[in-house]
Amino acid sequence: MNTLFPLGLPAATAFYLCLYLATLVVHLVFMHYVLAGSIYLAVGRVMGRARCQACNWQSIIVDWLPFATGLAITAGVGPLLFAQILYGREFATANLLLSHRWMAILPVLIVCFYLLYLQKSAWIARRAWAWRPAIAATACAGFLFIAWSWTENHLLMLDRAAWPGMYATSSLWYESAGVLPRLAAWCFVAFPSLAIELAWQGRLLGDRLDEPAAANTRVLGLSPVRRLAVTALSGWAGTLLAAWAYWPAIPAAARTAITGPLGGPWLIMAAMALVMQIVAWSITLVSERLTRGMLIVMTAAWVTTLLGIAVLRETIRLAAVDLATGKELHQTALGIGGLPVFLLFAVLNAVAIGWCIRTVRGQLATRSDGT
Amino acid sequence: MTPLDHYPVIDLGPLMRGLVIGGLGIFHVFLAQFAIGGGMLLCYLQWLHMQGDCRLARRFTDDYFKLLVLVSFVLGAVTGVAMWFTSIQISPRTIGTMVREFHWVWATEWTFFCLEVVAGYLFYRYGSRLPDRTRLQLLALYAFASWMSLFWINGILSWQLTPGTWLETRDVWAGFFNPGFLPSLIFRTISAAAIAALAACTLVNAVPGFTREERQSLVAICARPLVFMLAMPLVGAWYLGTMPADSRGWATGGSVPMTLFLTMAVGSSTLIGLYAILAILRQRLFVNGATASLLLALAFVATAGGEFVREGVRKPFTIREYLYSNSIARDGVADLRRRGSTADDPYPLRDQAHYPNEQLVLGAKVFRAQCSVCHTLDGMNAVAELAATWSIDQRRLNIAQLQRTKPFMPPFAGTPAEVEAIVQLIGWRHAGRPPGWAVSDDPAVLSQIERWLDEAGTGPGDARLVVGARLP
Ligand code: HEM
Repeated sequence: MNTLFPLGLPAATAFYLCLYLATLVVHLVFMHYVLAGSIYLAVGRVMGRARCQACNWQSIIVDWLPFATGLAITAGVGPLLFAQILYGREFATANLLLSHRWMAILPVLIVCFYLLYLQKSAWIARRAWAWRPAIAATACAGFLFIAWSWTENHLLMLDRAAWPGMYATSSLWYESAGVLPRLAAWCFVAFPSLAIELAWQGRLLGDRLDEPAAANTRVLGLSPVRRLAVTALSGWAGTLLAAWAYWPAIPAAARTAITGPLGGPWLIMAAMALVMQIVAWSITLVSERLTRGMLIVMTAAWVTTLLGIAVLRETIRLAAVDLATGKELHQTALGIGGLPVFLLFAVLNAVAIGWCIRTVRGQLATRSDGT
Repeated sequence: MTPLDHYPVIDLGPLMRGLVIGGLGIFHVFLAQFAIGGGMLLCYLQWLHMQGDCRLARRFTDDYFKLLVLVSFVLGAVTGVAMWFTSIQISPRTIGTMVREFHWVWATEWTFFCLEVVAGYLFYRYGSRLPDRTRLQLLALYAFASWMSLFWINGILSWQLTPGTWLETRDVWAGFFNPGFLPSLIFRTISAAAIAALAACTLVNAVPGFTREERQSLVAICARPLVFMLAMPLVGAWYLGTMPADSRGWATGGSVPMTLFLTMAVGSSTLIGLYAILAILRQRLFVNGATASLLLALAFVATAGGEFVREGVRKPFTIREYLYSNSIARDGVADLRRRGSTADDPYPLRDQAHYPNEQLVLGAKVFRAQCSVCHTLDGMNAVAELAATWSIDQRRLNIAQLQRTKPFMPPFAGTPAEVEAIVQLIGWRHAGRPPGWAVSDDPAVLSQIERWLDEAGTGPGDARLVVGARLP
């Protein structure tokens, strides 16, 4: 625990941790879109039809949320697999203790998923406006419930001492001072991600974010680019506030791990990348323009921050679980064959995915050119 | 490998825990097979369209794909995750072992999920604006990726019943390409094609805008994959042939419920196959929405029967010859006979205060650890009911020699005192849970139980398994 993550860890553990973190970051990218997107939409819908119609971001979110949810779920399978290799006992125990509460995330996810499709269906287009805020709010509440359950499950995993007592009381709720601030942190940090993702989507769909916005695209006096900047900056402000509230709830050993040699450099890296984003978004807020170059810088800083957050999140867990037993299990797991096959198909399928996207883009561009 | 890992055991009231996974499994398998077969059928339709052999194919493909996305991307994907989570709820050790042994296979399958989602969604979103060739390419990739996900998961699931030489070598590929792999893969592929064909026949009748003649011609085309069902008896027999003799025995008369489920699966498939081949494909009869839905419902029944048999015939194991249904390691029973199955259990009973003495508390803990995956105390498959007419000594004998009482039960993996504790628990519950209950600790009784335990040994009950492959 006195060496930079993951260098001081046993090789097999470090290997699985890196895979876990890489796949988790991908999950976060899509999960953030879903979580922040559904909140953005629910709030936006309440603001009335005229404002919604003026807001291009809401149309994009409505259009893409179902796919993003599909991606968030699919991307969740990767870290789920590696989390089970790394912390199988803890993960399963927390699942079992939360029991029906935990399993409820699945029907809730199904309902939310269908509500997202309903939001873009012809059916809703024929209904009174009031349906939209209601549906958006229900889907948002569902996703918040899912996020809360993941957070609760995660914290329960780390609290081995609480397991027998919680089992004895049959309680389906894990009460801990950390749950709410940690959940709040996840919700807030999703907004800067959403802002960057929307900016890219807008660009790819042909929005000129580096030019002055038309008057009819303003909502509450804010241009689309400013709305993104406000989204990102308020997201970061909320995240920092929630992190500040969460800090005292983190056990002392974990706090030392975060600020010590294990996590310290990652903390500094994440903080620097965060400052870069704040500066970049502040410039954007003032200038009301978002150039491609600026977006690339922001994106690089954003990915760095996400990675830093994921590593710091892991140092908290590493301080809580018994790595000595895990070490052998990870070593055994690594000795089991199949890695080359995975790598081969990971590359082939990544190429196939790239090919699909390129081909479809190419064909659509050709069609719209009329060639 | 530890003999038994203690996890908090969930309480489903009167429901058997094992049934839950079976129930969800049926749904998931049905939906997944629909998605896999759907991909293949849509490729075929798109190809027919490009050959000029079916002018309606392109339009129908788009309608069908919307349904596929709504069903498979949502319900299929989420029930897939649900299977995983439910497995954790029912038997964390089983799924933990599966994940450990096959994590790279699972990770490989995941890369195919990603391809399936992207290719599928691109088709769903932009298919109508794409040229035919690109449509076919996307559909082919989608169909291939979804079939490959079947390929990978099939190896893991069939390994549970027929681990083959993995037991000796522990080689992942020996486990993956196990004796049941190929027949099971072919069988599931045919089922997938049949389910997708029947769903298409239903949909042809449900979407507006087709004339009766158009519907008839589409049904005739969509029903074509049903012809593969002709191979089902052969592949099914092959699959049965690869099963361990005792498992085959359960399904073919040895266990009434298993035999009934198999009959249900075979009967429903036969009815569908006969109707499809004689009425739809040969006589070219028109299949209306009601008939198509009925056939689809029969396919669901067939899937349900098949999945129950697949889950059931593994007994007394959850991973054949390796891990018993109650998550006790096959080679750990002897150890637990000495140490007891509850000695390391950190979890208290939830209703501990209701038991009049410590022996009954122990009995309840033993029940929770060893029996509760397949039995309840008072609900479904209730132990109190099953042992109601047994005398007390019969209870002692039958529990001590569990694997002989019914060979689909694992051997009792605990001390004589634990056997007596569970016997007393059954007696107490049968007596209406009186507030007072005497502790039974007669040394003569305990040594008799010990003799019975020793006599039955620590292996499974079926003689074919006792001489079967051993763990390294
Ligand atoms: C779209 C709905 C979802 C939302 C809103 C969501 C939200 C979250 C959140 C907030 C966390 C962080 C928990 C914490 O550290 O406190 C998380 C972690 C995670 N999620 Fe998701 N999630 C969703 C769906 C899924 C699904 C369907 C899966 C599985 C297929 C999944 C797999 C994971 C995994 C494996 C982790 C890491 C857990 C750990 O290491 O303890 N997520 N998710």
